Amino acid sequence: MSKTEVNPPRAAALYQSAKKIYPREIKGRFDRLSKIATYALLGLFYVVPWLMWDERQAVLFDLPARKFYLIGLTLWPQDFLYLALLLIMAAISLFFFTALGGRLWCGFACPQTVWTEAFIWMEQWTEGTRSQRMKLDKAPWSWNKLRRKGSKQLLWITFSLWTGFTFIGYFQPIRELGVDIMALNVGGWTLFWGLFYGFATYGNAGYMREQVCKYMCPYARFQSAMFDRDTLIISYDESRGEPRGGRKRSVDRKSEGLGDCIDCQLCVQVCPTDIDIRDGLQYECIACAACIDACDSIMDKMEYPRGLVRYTTQNAMEGKETRIFRPRTLVYATLLTVLFAGLMISMFTRTPLILDVIRDRNALYRELASDVIENAYTLKVINQKNEARDFILSVEGAEGILLEGVSNPVSVDGGGVLTVPVRARVHRDNAYGMMNITFTATAADDSSIVVVEDSRFFSPSP
Amino acid sequence: MVQEDYRGARQWSRDRQSIAIVVWISFLSAAIGTMLFFALFDPIDLSGIFDPELEIGREAGYAVGFFFFWVLSAGCSAVTAWLVRTAPKRDEKHR
Repeated sequence: MSKTEVNPPRAAALYQSAKKIYPREIKGRFDRLSKIATYALLGLFYVVPWLMWDERQAVLFDLPARKFYLIGLTLWPQDFLYLALLLIMAAISLFFFTALGGRLWCGFACPQTVWTEAFIWMEQWTEGTRSQRMKLDKAPWSWNKLRRKGSKQLLWITFSLWTGFTFIGYFQPIRELGVDIMALNVGGWTLFWGLFYGFATYGNAGYMREQVCKYMCPYARFQSAMFDRDTLIISYDESRGEPRGGRKRSVDRKSEGLGDCIDCQLCVQVCPTDIDIRDGLQYECIACAACIDACDSIMDKMEYPRGLVRYTTQNAMEGKETRIFRPRTLVYATLLTVLFAGLMISMFTRTPLILDVIRDRNALYRELASDVIENAYTLKVINQKNEARDFILSVEGAEGILLEGVSNPVSVDGGGVLTVPVRARVHRDNAYGMMNITFTATAADDSSIVVVEDSRFFSPSP
Repeated sequence: MVQEDYRGARQWSRDRQSIAIVVWISFLSAAIGTMLFFALFDPIDLSGIFDPELEIGREAGYAVGFFFFWVLSAGCSAVTAWLVRTAPKRDEKHR
């Protein structure tokens, strides 16, 4: 890197409307971190559906059966609250980490980034380095080009199909799905969603790449709202770097009046979104830190101190102290802790039983010949255990109230819903207009598993 | 090491941007809508409402629901984007 070169002015590029970005490969601390993140996250995605727990898939969102298995837990549509809570927590964590570390999510954890990274690796294996790729694209079609492009497509498509298969494996038992695919016996919808997800991966990670972040991602646009002067950003140290300019390694930069930036353009070439970090913080920057690695490698070669481009904060840049604990982070952290505690408490204290009471809408009440008032209800008993269980149904809330149409105990299958049409009867002397009554379902084998539901009993006004 | 000069990100045309945004954001909203809707309703209970002859399984029900939400929100997004883009410019002189 002793040579530097003159670059065309930036504005010239604006006329080229659909130019492809060839991010240059770079080794360094943050590249290692991003590799670890990619391996870890993709590893999780591809391995988790194969894990087993108690003779069944550990993580399975069984949509056809309307049951979610999460390791030891079985969730039903009625547990939707948990899912909503989890999603809210995920959003607040995102805010929290953004306030602290800037666009850590974008640079290291977003599926768009992670899959793009994997696709770029495959591109490098087959088409070579950045300059080789650029040359290859410019060259006329030849056997070599066909072979390289063909093997890239083969890798990409295989990987995408496997991704689609894995995705489906979260919603259908993946082992059986694998057998079905081998036997070419896959349902139409399964095939469709697998191909759909595979194609989306192929298009997003292979072709659209940074355009998704630039044009389509809402988070990229509003993340700056979470930023403050203490948020980690990647920044070029202008006071140290300017005036930039090429020089020989032997030249004393002080005597030439030059800053530390040798204007080698490496930070631009490694950028996956093709921005110049030296122009300041830009919303296209996904904070992947490739430019830090690039600049550090040059600083090492020039024997200048590292960190001309570095992780810093606005306060630090201005020589002020950076605070980690500040109202913004404390509020996010408190919210997260409270929600997490609430989720844990409600998950561990939840009764594996749900009782729904629906009043008969057709008639308020019926008067029986024997001076008895009758109201009709439909009870739904949902057993959230995986084994069948007996339950005792009862009603309370009025003198001498009786439950008809049910023979206790009722047995409900594991994960099953039992619908029981029942009638509550009260003698005319004990019935006054509208009364609040309660239905109770109790597990026959464990009286601590009890659910009480409110309802109403109507009778003619006395 | 550095062999050639290269600058300038590819940029999407405005139409392409709009289409991408409409498709993607309505996809997200359809995903949320489908999740909420089918957490409350079972496709099997719903099948046969319009035509008792029509029996739809759960998987088909989810798919139909998802695409219904996607088309609905894409239509809404598209009209919004179009209206915003074609709105007459505000005349600063005659407010």
